[in-house]
Amino acid sequence: MTQGRTALLLGAPALVLMMAILILPILAAVILSFTDYSLGASGIRWVGFDNYGRIFGSSTYEKMLVATATYVAVVVPASIGLGLGAALLIQSLSRGAAFYKSVYFLPVMATLLAMTIVWQMMLHPTIGVVNRGLLAVCGVLPEGVCPAEMPLWLGDRDYAIWVTCFIGVWQSFGFNMVLYLAGLSGVPRELYGAAEMDGARSAWERFRLVTWPALRPTTMFVLITTSIRAFQTFDTVEVLFSPGGGPAKSVYLMMFAIYEKGIVQNLVGIGAAITVLFLISVMALTVLQRRIAERKAL
Amino acid sequence: MATVSLKGIQKSYKDTEILRGIDLDIGAGEFVSLVGPSGCGKSTLLRIIAGLEAPTVGDVRIGGASVSGTRAADRNLSMVFQSYALYPHLTVAENIAVPLRMRRLNRWQRLPLIGGLLGGDASIAADVRRAAEMLEITPLLDRRPGQLSGGQRQRVALGRALVRDPAAFLLDEPLSNLDAKLRAHTRTEITELHRKLGATFIYVTHDQVEAMTMSDRIAVMMGGRILQCDTPARIYADPCDLRVAEFIGSPRINVIPAEADGAGRIAIPGCALPLRHRGRAALRLALRPETLFLTDRAPKLRGEVAHVENMGHEFVVQVAVAGLPSRLVLRTAMPATIGQTVSIGFDPALALVFDAEGRRCRDVTVCEGAAA
Repeated sequence: MTQGRTALLLGAPALVLMMAILILPILAAVILSFTDYSLGASGIRWVGFDNYGRIFGSSTYEKMLVATATYVAVVVPASIGLGLGAALLIQSLSRGAAFYKSVYFLPVMATLLAMTIVWQMMLHPTIGVVNRGLLAVCGVLPEGVCPAEMPLWLGDRDYAIWVTCFIGVWQSFGFNMVLYLAGLSGVPRELYGAAEMDGARSAWERFRLVTWPALRPTTMFVLITTSIRAFQTFDTVEVLFSPGGGPAKSVYLMMFAIYEKGIVQNLVGIGAAITVLFLISVMALTVLQRRIAERKAL
Repeated sequence: MATVSLKGIQKSYKDTEILRGIDLDIGAGEFVSLVGPSGCGKSTLLRIIAGLEAPTVGDVRIGGASVSGTRAADRNLSMVFQSYALYPHLTVAENIAVPLRMRRLNRWQRLPLIGGLLGGDASIAADVRRAAEMLEITPLLDRRPGQLSGGQRQRVALGRALVRDPAAFLLDEPLSNLDAKLRAHTRTEITELHRKLGATFIYVTHDQVEAMTMSDRIAVMMGGRILQCDTPARIYADPCDLRVAEFIGSPRINVIPAEADGAGRIAIPGCALPLRHRGRAALRLALRPETLFLTDRAPKLRGEVAHVENMGHEFVVQVAVAGLPSRLVLRTAMPATIGQTVSIGFDPALALVFDAEGRRCRDVTVCEGAAA
C-alpha cells in the first residue's frame, strides 16, 4: 500500500465526521433555502431564489436587515471600546483590580435570558426602577427640563433598538475586558521604558506607540468574536419583544427572525434562507477583518 | 556629551535594599562600565540615571545640573535595552526615527494621516539615513524587527540611540543576547563608536571581559555598593577588595589562606614567604594564574595535576594541593598530564595580600634576601 493511501485511510474517520457534522448541515440549509419545505408537509417544491427574493423584497425583512445592521454597528465598537477602556483602567490600579474585574465580568457569567427579565422589570414604564428614578430626579429639576411623559422604553420604536443595543453592550463588554487584560499582560514592559526614553511624554503617546500596536492580535480576535456574538443575539429579543420583534419590527434581529419563521411559523424554506444570509454575513465580516489584519501586520 | 554624577544614591523596595549609597563621577566623553554579578543593583542604578526609576535617597546630576524631578523623556539621554525594545510594528527606519519625531514634530504632525498632509521634517529622514550608514544597516531600513537577526536588531537599537545627540548613552547589557563571536565583534564596534562620537557612555554588564576591554574606567558593584572604580589596568593589577580580585580576570584568581605570626612573618601552608605584615593576623594571598609557574627549583607548593585544558597556545592546568581548600589554576606552555605531581613557584612580590574580611593589606613589605 502506498503512503498516500495510508494517509487517506488514517484521515478518513476525521474527514467523514467533519463532513457529517459540519459540512452536511450547512449544505442541507443551503438546499432547503431553495425549497418551500415545511415540517410535516407532504410535498416539497423547488422554488429557486423565491425565498431570497422575498427577503430582499418585503419590508419586514428589510426591517430585519436594518435592525441587525444597527445592532451590530453599535454593539461591536461600543463593547470593544468599553472593554479596552476598562482593561486599561484596571491594569493601572495598584489595588482593587480583582474587585473591578469581578464586577465587570458579572453580566457575562449571568445568563442573558435571566438578566433580560430583570431589565424588562427595570424598564417597565410605570413601576420600573429606571423611570421611577428619572421621575425622582425630574422632581428636583426646574420645570420644562424633563419631558411631560417618561419614555416607554420597550414600546417605543425610537427607543426599543437602542435599549436592546445597550443591554447587548452591558452584557458583552466584560468579556472583551478580560481578553484585553490578557493581551495587556503580554506587552513587553521594556517597550514602555524605551518609549519614555524616546520622548513619549503623554500616556496617549505611549498608548499609540506601544500598547495599541501590541494589542492588535487581541483586537482582531475580540472584533471577530464580538461581531459573531452580536449577529447571534436572540435572548434579548425573545424575552422583551416576542412575538413580533418589537414595536414596528424595529428590533427584528436575524437570529430571532430565523427562529420565528423556521420554528414558530414552520416556514423552513424562509428560515433556511435567512440562515444562509446570516452565515454569509458573518463569514464576509470575518474574512474582511482578517484581510485588514494581515495587510497591516506585515 | 556631558558629565554624569551620582551623589549618595540609595534605593530600596519595601524592606529590600538594592542600592546602599552610590557615589560616582563620570567625566564628559568617558566610557564607564558598571560591572557586577546579577542582583548587584547595576541595572537599577542605570534606570535611576535614565529616570525610569526614582532613587529613595540621593541625587543625579547631568552636566552639573540636578535632574531629580526631571522625567526620563526630558533628561536628553539615550538608552539601549537588553532586549533591544524595538517597536515591532514599525520598520527599522521608523524605529530609528521615533526619538526625532517625538522631539521635532508637534502633536498634529505626529498623527497618522493628518501628519502626512502637514508634511514632516525633512531633517528626520536625513538623520535616520546618516545613523543607518554609520552602523551599516541601510539595506535593512524597510524591514521590521521580526525579520532581523539578533545582531541586526542590536544595531537598530544602537541606531535609535545615536540618531540624536544625547547628553550620554546608557547601555544595559546590550551584548548579552548575542553569540560569542558576534559579541567580540560588536565589542570592538561599540568601542570605536565611542571614540568616533566622543560621547559619555555608561555601560552595564555582568561580563568582566566586556568591562575590561571597552572601558576607560570600571566600577565594580556588589551588594548594592561600588567596591572599586578605577581604570581596567588598576582594577586588574591592584584591586582593593578580594571580591574585586575574584570577579575580574579569567581564569579566576587563586586564593590561598595565609597567616602572619607575632613578628609579622607571612606563611602559607608548608612554606614561609619573605613577606612581612605589621602583626599577627589571618590573611589571604591572591595570585593571578599567570604569576604561578611550574618549577623544580625551590618550589613553594606541590600538588597533583587534576585537570588540563588545552587552549591551543597554552595549557590551563588545575592543580590539587593538599591543605588548600580549592585547586590552583595556572597557565603554562608545557603540557602536563593528569595525575602528575608538580611543583609550583611564584614571585612573592606579585602576591596580593588581603585580610580576613577581604580588604587589601597595603602595608605588606617584601624582605629582600630572606629565605625564599
